[in-house]
Amino acid sequence: MTALTFTLKKELSHSLDCSRLTAAVLADKSIAEIKAMTLEAHHTVADWFTVSGSDASHIVFKDTNQHLSYIGKQMQNGTITIEGDCGDFLGQSMKGGTIICKGNAGDRAGDKMRRGILLIEGNAGDYCASSLMAGTLGVLGATGSHLGYSMKRGTLLLAKSPTEQITWVDCGIHTLPFLKLLFKSFANFDTQFAKLTSTRAQRWMGDISGIGKAEILLLNQD
Amino acid sequence: MNVQKNGVQIDDTFAEAFNMRGTRVLITAQNLKWAYNAANAMTGFATSVIGCGVEAGIECELTEDETPDGRPGVSILMFAMGSKVLMQQLEVRMGQCILTCPTAAAFSGLASEDQISLGKNLRYFGDGNQISKLLPDADGNNQRYWRIPVMDGEFITQETTGMVRAIGGGNFLVLGESQSQVLAACEAAIIAMKKLPNVIMPFPGGVVRSGSKVGSKYPKMFASTNDAFCPTLKGGVKTELDMGIESVMEIVIDGLTFDDIALSMKVGIEAACSLGADSGIKRISAGNYGGKLGPYLFKLHEILGA
Repeated sequence: MTALTFTLKKELSHSLDCSRLTAAVLADKSIAEIKAMTLEAHHTVADWFTVSGSDASHIVFKDTNQHLSYIGKQMQNGTITIEGDCGDFLGQSMKGGTIICKGNAGDRAGDKMRRGILLIEGNAGDYCASSLMAGTLGVLGATGSHLGYSMKRGTLLLAKSPTEQITWVDCGIHTLPFLKLLFKSFANFDTQFAKLTSTRAQRWMGDISGIGKAEILLLNQD
Repeated sequence: MNVQKNGVQIDDTFAEAFNMRGTRVLITAQNLKWAYNAANAMTGFATSVIGCGVEAGIECELTEDETPDGRPGVSILMFAMGSKVLMQQLEVRMGQCILTCPTAAAFSGLASEDQISLGKNLRYFGDGNQISKLLPDADGNNQRYWRIPVMDGEFITQETTGMVRAIGGGNFLVLGESQSQVLAACEAAIIAMKKLPNVIMPFPGGVVRSGSKVGSKYPKMFASTNDAFCPTLKGGVKTELDMGIESVMEIVIDGLTFDDIALSMKVGIEAACSLGADSGIKRISAGNYGGKLGPYLFKLHEILGA
C-alpha cells in the first residue's frame, strides 16, 4: 500500500484547519469519501487537495505552505510526513504516532502534546512545545520566542541554541546513553533526525513556573 | 542396549525435568567489563531454586549491534518455579545489582504475551524525577523505557520483559576414575554448551558436585546427598557405582524449550565423551526420580540418536 497523500492544489491565503486528516479519521474511508470530507465551511478536501494512495497509517502532505494548520491534531497512531512547511499548532494534543515536518513549522508546534514523536527538520515558530505534557519534540532549525512555555514533562530536542528562557534551569552538559535509544527509534523514519549520533547534550529543566519536569536537550555539545 | 561414545558407556536412563517460568534480560554497559559486573551480580547466588529462589546464568555476550542502546552487553536467563517468585526475584535483583552498577542498563530480552516488571516499579527510585519514554522499536512497536537519575548520570531500563513457560532440571552425570579427570570432562562439556542459545547451566562454573535425592533420614530435610552416586559410600549403601568410579559430577540445564535442553545435553555429553575412556571418563548417566516428579524425560540414548 502506498501512503495516503494530500497534494495542495492551489495557493492558500488563509489558515486551513487540517485536523481531520489523521489516521483515526481516515482509516477505512475510500478516496471518494475522503475527498468529500468537509475541511472548513463550504469546502471539501477535494477543493484543496488531490488525494492519492491508500495507507492511512502513513499520511503525506505535499506542496505544502505555512497556512496548513492543526496537522496531526489529536492523532493517536501512524505517521504523518509534511514535505515542506506547515502552519500553526502542528501536532496539537497528539496522543501517539509520529509527525515529520521536512520544512518549517508555525507557532505552537506540539501544543498540549501528550505522547508521540514530533520532528521538525526546519525552524519552529514561537511558543514551540507550549503546555506540552509528554512525548518528544525535535527541532533541527531555529526556535522562536517563549520556547517550552508552560511545558510540563517531555523532551524538547534541539540542534541549535535557543534564546534564553527565564523559567528554564540549566543542568549542565551531559553524556546521555538514552539518546542512542532515541536516535535508534528515529531510524524507522525517513528524516534527518535519523542521522543524529552525538549523545553529548546540554540539559535544561523547566518550565519551573509550573511543575518543571520537562527537559530541553541541546545536542552536539561534543 | 549397550551404547558407547568414544569408549564411554551411556547409561540407558533419563533426566527428569519440570515446568518453570523463564525470562531473559539484556544488560548493557559502557563496556563488556561492566556489563559482566552487573550480570555476575544479577545471576549470583542463583544456582538452585531450593535455596536461591531462582536459577540464573549468563546466556551469551552481545555486540553493539545486538543491543537496544548500541552498547556492548550480555544476555541473562532467569528461571523460577512460578511467576510470582520470578517477578519478586527479578525486581529485587534489578534493584540491587543493575541499578547499583555503574553505567549498566537493562532491557527486555523476550517478546511474549506475559510481561513482568523490569523497571516498572524501580522507577520510583527516581523520587519523582524519573522520565518515561515511549519509543518505537525496529518493528514499529512502542516500548516504554524509564530514565532514572542516579549519581553517575542516568539509569535506563525498559518497563517490562517477557515471561514464558520454560523447563528446568535437564541434567547428565559424568562418572570417572578421578576427580580431576571428571572435572576436565565437565569443563569441556560446559565450553561446548555455552555456545548454545536459550539455555543456562546455573551451578558454579556450570557444574554441581552435590547432586541430591528426595528426602532424608532427618525429618526436616526434604533433600539430601545422592548417596547412590557418592564414591566413598560404595559398598556401604545401595550404590550405582562400580569400584572403578572415584568421582561423579553433574551438569544441570535450564532452558526455554525441550529441544533447547535436549540439544545442549547432546552437545555436552559428546564434548565430555570426546576426551575418551582413556582419559578416565567411564560412564554418562542422568538424575531422575523414577519419572514421578517431572513431566519431561530426556532419555540419553534418544538424545544421542543411539
